[in-house]
Formats: sequence, C-alpha cells, structure tokens
Amino acid sequence: MTARVVLAAVLAAVLAVLSIAPAAAIDIKQVTTPLGIKAWLVEDKSVPVINLSFSFEGGSALEPEGRKGVTSLMALLLTDGAGSLAGPAFKQRAEDSEVALGFGASLDRLSGSLRVLSANRGEGFELLRLAMIEPRFDPEMVEQRRAQALSNVNQAGQRPATVAGRVMMTTVFAGHPYAADTEALRAGLKSVTVDDLKARAADLLSRSSLVIAAVGDIDAAELSRQLDRAFGALPANPAPPEAPQWKAEIRKRTIVIERPVPQSTVQIVMPGIARNDKDWYAAFVMNHILGGSGLGSRLTTEVREKRGLTYGVSSGLRVYKKASLLAISTASANEKVAEAVRVIRAEIARLRTDGVTAEELADAKTYLTGALPVSLDSSGSVASLLYSLQIDGLPPDHLDKRSALISAVTAEDVRRVARRLLRDDSAITVVVGKPVGLPPEP
Amino acid sequence: MLGGLVAGAGIAVGRPSFATLLTVARRPAETFTLGNGLQVIVLPSRRAPIVTQVLIYKVGGADEVVGRTGIAHFLEHMMFKGTATLGPGEFSKIIARNGGRENAFTDFDITGYHQTIAADRLEMVMRMEADRMANLRVVEKELTPERQVVLEERRMRTENVPSSLLDEAVREQLFGRNKPYGMPVSGYVDDVKRLGAGDLAAFYKKHYAPNNAVLIVAGDTDPDAVRKLAERYYGPLAKKPIEARRRPSSGGTDLPQRVIRADARVVEARWGRDYLAPSYRVGETRHAYALSVLARLMGGSETSRLWRALVSDRKVALSASADYGASSLGLTSFGFDAHPARGRTVTEVERAVADQTKKLLDDGVTAEEVERAQNRLLAQAIYAQDSLSSGPRIYGAALSTGGTVADVDDWPRRIAAVTPSDVLAAARHVFRDDGAVTSVLTPVEGAK
Repeated sequence: MTARVVLAAVLAAVLAVLSIAPAAAIDIKQVTTPLGIKAWLVEDKSVPVINLSFSFEGGSALEPEGRKGVTSLMALLLTDGAGSLAGPAFKQRAEDSEVALGFGASLDRLSGSLRVLSANRGEGFELLRLAMIEPRFDPEMVEQRRAQALSNVNQAGQRPATVAGRVMMTTVFAGHPYAADTEALRAGLKSVTVDDLKARAADLLSRSSLVIAAVGDIDAAELSRQLDRAFGALPANPAPPEAPQWKAEIRKRTIVIERPVPQSTVQIVMPGIARNDKDWYAAFVMNHILGGSGLGSRLTTEVREKRGLTYGVSSGLRVYKKASLLAISTASANEKVAEAVRVIRAEIARLRTDGVTAEELADAKTYLTGALPVSLDSSGSVASLLYSLQIDGLPPDHLDKRSALISAVTAEDVRRVARRLLRDDSAITVVVGKPVGLPPEP
Repeated sequence: MLGGLVAGAGIAVGRPSFATLLTVARRPAETFTLGNGLQVIVLPSRRAPIVTQVLIYKVGGADEVVGRTGIAHFLEHMMFKGTATLGPGEFSKIIARNGGRENAFTDFDITGYHQTIAADRLEMVMRMEADRMANLRVVEKELTPERQVVLEERRMRTENVPSSLLDEAVREQLFGRNKPYGMPVSGYVDDVKRLGAGDLAAFYKKHYAPNNAVLIVAGDTDPDAVRKLAERYYGPLAKKPIEARRRPSSGGTDLPQRVIRADARVVEARWGRDYLAPSYRVGETRHAYALSVLARLMGGSETSRLWRALVSDRKVALSASADYGASSLGLTSFGFDAHPARGRTVTEVERAVADQTKKLLDDGVTAEEVERAQNRLLAQAIYAQDSLSSGPRIYGAALSTGGTVADVDDWPRRIAAVTPSDVLAAARHVFRDDGAVTSVLTPVEGAK
C-alpha cells in the first residue's frame, strides 16, 4: 500500500543527492504536447521534485449574479473529492504519495499548483487529472468549505491590514468588478449551490486559456505525456467574459476605519503603470528607490531609520489584467501615524519634484539586476518566475534582455515617470485604527 | 516497525538498506571548527550560482533576566547600525547594492543573521559578518529611533493581534512568569523603554563571540573555499569565556491553568490547550521523536485524528490541529488549537478534544497511522532540500539548542524508529492535567 510509493521516492531522492547536477543558467524549453497543450519547462535534476504552476482565465472579479465567492469555493473543493475518492479519501491518497495539490482564485484567474516527488509523478498527475475532470462537489464537503469560507471573511475583519486592503479595493475600484464587496461575498457564499459550483468549474477549466510552468526533475517528453494525461480531456471553451478596462481616475481622499488597536495600518494608493508600458522599467527603478525591498529605500530611511515611526514601510507596483496601482503601506502607533503619513507624502513630493541622484540610480540598477537570480533558490521560485513571465506576455528569452532594459533607465526616465505616477492629488489614503490628528477627508 | 513497513509494501528491499537510505536522505553536511571555537557547516548545492550565509549566535530571549527583557531582539536590530569601520545602515546598503537579500531574527534560544547573494560575493558578506561579530558600535543617537522601531514591531506583531497577546499569557502560565520562555522575546514594553546603550553593549560583549556561534554556508561553494574564507575573516577573532546556558527543568507552578481573553477585536472564538513537553534537551527527552510523530497523526493535516473527529465527523469545529517543536534548549510545549463551528461552543470543542486524547490513551495508535506520519515527516526532509534556506534553518535550530550535526543527519532514522508503543508512552507522559494550560479567545459579549 502506501509504503511502496514512498520507499521508491526515498530511494530516488538518495540517488539524486549522490549525483548532483552541475550549475546551469535557467534554460527555458517550450513544450507542446501531442494533444496541443503548451508549457514552459526548466529541467533541474538537482532535487527529485517536480513543481507545476498553472492557471486558467477567469477569476473572482466577474462571477454570476448573486454568486460572489463561487470561484474560490469551487477552487478549494476541486481537491475535496474526485472520481471514486470521496472527501477525505482524496486527501489521504494525495498525502500517501506526498503530493501537494491545490487550487485558488485571484481576481483574473483560477490557478493551481502541484508539487510531487519525481518518483511519484504518475500519481501526482493522475490526482491532478481527477481533480479537474471528475470533481465530486459532495454536499457534505461543500457545507464544510462554505462554513470555513464564511468564517474566513469574519476573521479577515479582525486584522487591520486585511481591512485596510479590502477597504482600499472597494474604494479605488468603486463601480468596477475589481471592487471588493464583503456583504455581496457573504451573501454569495451563503447561496452558492452544488450546481453553481459545477457550472463554474465547467466554465473555467478549459484548455483554451491554460498557462503552465513546470520546473524540476522531469524531461520534455515525460512532461508532455503527463500534461496530456492531466489536461488532455479538458474542453476548449470560449474565453470567459472579461472585466472592462479600469479608468484610472481617483479623487484624493482619506478614509478612516475605526478599530480599537494601538497601531494604525495605512495604505496609500495611486494609479500605477501597465506591465507593457514603455516606461515600465523606469517605474520599476523609481519604485525601488522610493520604497522597494531592503532597508535602503527613501521611505525606509525617512520613516523608519531616521524617525522610528514604523517597523516597515514599502511601496509596490501592482498589476492586474485590467488595472494597475502604485501602493504604499505602513503601520504606526496611533499617536504617530499622522507624522508617518506626512513624511510619506513629503517623500512622494520630493521624488516627483527633484527626481533621483546618480548614486541612487546606480544602486537601484545593481540591486534589481542582481536580485532576480538570487531569488531563484528553489524549484518553486523558478516555477513562479516561469509562470509570471507567461502571464506578463514576455518571451522565454526575456531574462537575457532584462538586465539591459533595467540598465538603460536614465535619471530623466525616472523623473518623467515620477511626474506621471507620483500624484498626491490622486491618492487615496486608508487608515485602520484610532489615528490621532489624521481626520477623514471626504 | 520498519520490518512491518517494508513487508507490508511487499517489495524486496531489506530492512537494513531502508534504514541506511533514511540516514542519507538528507544532504551530507561538512563541518569543522576554527581554532577560536567557531563551528562551521557547509551545505554545497550547485543548482544556481548563489550562496546563503547564516550566522547563528547561541543566545536568545530565554537568556534574558527579569527587568531586561527584549534585549536580545533589540541588539539584533542594532547590529545593522554600524561598526568601527561601517556607518549606520551601510551593511544593508552594501548587500542591496550587490543584489543580495538579508535579514535577521531572534527567538528564545537563538539569534540569527543571514544573507543570500551571488556566489562570488561570499567573501564580502563573510568579511562584513565577521566585522560586526567583534566591532559593533552601540551609540545612543542610533538607539533612540531604533527603540521606537522595536516598539512598533511589537505593536504590529503582538499588541494589534489578540491571539498573540493570548499566547504571551499562555506562556507566562505554562513556563512561569519571569522564567525563560515565559517572558516574550520582543520584551515587555516597560523593559524595552528602559534599555540603554550600556545594557546592549554589555549583552553583546557577553554573548557575541566565535565560540558562541555557528556559521552555516549553503549553496554554490565548497568546504575548502569556505574554510579558507572563515579562517581569514572569523579566524582572528578572540574567543571569550562563555557562561553555561541555564534552563529550568520545571514549568509554571499551579498548573493546570485556564487563560481567557475576551477581546472587542475578536469576531470568532478559538480554543487551545498547551502541555509542557520534553524537548531533545530537557525533560524525558526519549519521548521527543515520538512526540513529533504524535503531533502529525493527531493534528498535522486534514486526514489527522482531530480533523476527522472534530471537523469531518462531529462538525463541532471548522479547523483543528496539533503542534510540537522539539528543538529547544529547555522545555517545550505540545499544543492543540481548534476553531469552533458556528453555533458550537468552546466547551463542546474542548470536550471533543478530550474525547480524542482519552481514546488515544485508552486504545493507543495503529501501526498504519504511525507509518503514515513517519512517511510524511521523511518526505518533508526531502522537500526541504529544494530550498537553500531550509538546510541552514534545520542545522541552526539544532546547533543552537545543544544538538550536533550527527543529530540532524540521524533525524530521519530516529523518526523511522518510532513505534506505536513509543507514541502511546509519549502521549501518556505529556497529556497530563498538571502540565496543561487551556486558553480561550473570545469576542466580548455584545461587541461587534
């Protein structure tokens, strides 16, 4: 029974450890299976593990009327019983062969991931096939997941950072399908039926919009066989309806959500920049200098290091299929949060007016070109990269060009994009806590 | 037990070879010690041209004294604030300029600093890490704003989070107020406010030394290269007299206890129970491996006993889990956590968990569920090889809590050797009222 598979896996693991593969740059192969399924593959035999990241078009933004939450609930339930394996039996079989398989939904896509020991790959891809082709949606499991999902909505209301994020999405995307609506979500989760779940799965699980990234101990021929087995029987549906393009118009305001906590959580959001914009790399460099990762950004220096107003402050470029944002987050004691926000706004203005120094620009470039290879320290992280390159519509040789694109950014490029993006007159500020001296601005 | 496993599988692999396989399922570590007592572990991996350096100091929050809590963590923050030759923040700037990632952490028994960077920059990060082992400058001007950062971190992680506040209260009962593990690593606010540059400098001087540290280098390098660099940069640093670390062999007095936190910020109730438990080091340490297996089969996943009983069958809970960590220099805890279903009470959940512990103590566990839990733990060890950070984390945790490289390398075999009767004996040892703290997190009546 269970031991056979695992013993084989342990044996394979040992053999692989004894023959460690030589260093290699990332070599992306494009695989097309006999049934026409396409995937990107990085073969890496250094660990006897295979990681698969994949997704389908259609997510939680556009759901059938009155059925908010159906996509996430359906995604969870795909691994709660399939074929002849009811509920826990499916999970047990996955555990017995050390298969980690799961699905989830973002605003734009339904995504999944599979992690399996290469010796157990047949079982891993078979469970993946079962989950997608023969999900059961047994009423008992539906009720269990429904109750957990409703509870998660409640618990999210306990965490200031989650509340800030939700209120921000509601406000910035008001009138657009990306807007979060907790009450509609609660109502939707309560009313979703087994038929709704089945219909949603049938609509989204389609070969037409499939994106797949595979990394690990598997070659192209074997990957082809396994992909055809798992995905080959999916229908080729017409694309699901798309959300309209978001009109990047924001009216400046400050929203305060009162919560009895000693520290206020803050999000400041402005319209961002699309991934395919010609100024993307200039914005990427600008964001790093303003509030990117590490301890050296302007916001960290001014808000944390010099003034001790926060443990963390950062900015990021967020890209959705039909919108993009520049978001700044921090958290500061209720008595100090007004000063933290004042300093952040001053830094936004300073970057917009004065641009960046030559030294800042040079440091940002060496960081951003060097940090990507350093992040690729597991097959999971390589799979995520392969996956996001495809979602961003970039070619497999993009990594060869990326450094040159970053290095080509000039101080003038950064200044131009800073003037375009860093607009305090179109920023929404959301504060969750009991801030002192930071009144709402409607 | 292993015989049963292999025979049950019906494959022609002998018992000894399976045991041998288990011992090498983890990558072999090279280890050596410098003349000044710094232990070095090298974990080569050629998959990408990057390296991770982790420097672990054998000191943490449990080495603090009453009235001076939070000092180990505060010092960790100050380690980025300059040395005799590097200005405040320069360390991080240089790492970033070279495309590296870095961070640091403080726990009860351990303080760690780590960087991941292109393999050809290993020398640079070793030089800088060695520099701040001996030449840190703790100055008031940098300390003042950083104290506020430390307090903001505590607000974010603890004071803004009702469940974290409850955890602190549970630890005070379980391990004893003002005793190691009973005091928070982030420190009590009044203590953190009082700590001065002199306190931090003294703590640094006392605990930061090559013979109180472990250096772990993983990634695209080899033992000879690491030895050469370690000799050059860490080698010249002076050894210091280090006091033996003390941990109590008993926990809190007057157990069992019940800790209830009614909090206006809480929407959904939680129930928990923690038992004082032996670690690899203190208490009835022979139970430690069996307790790891017990935690898995009792509450490690959705196929565990607790989940099946409370969530799937009786539907009194939305989730249920068990948790145990054996890597501690002192006593540790074995914990249960459950989230009552809508319309169900914490009392019902508590009763259902009690039924399960009683059932386990009365009837024991089956060979099959023990085997499943073992396989899961062994597979985790294989998956752990897939990331550059997990090896250093495992060795770092072991070596800062009195373990050896051999203990880590032998871990799969020791897990595989656990029998159903070992699990039962471990459960009998730990599931005792006089070692338990029950905790309840609940909304304030009538509050939103």
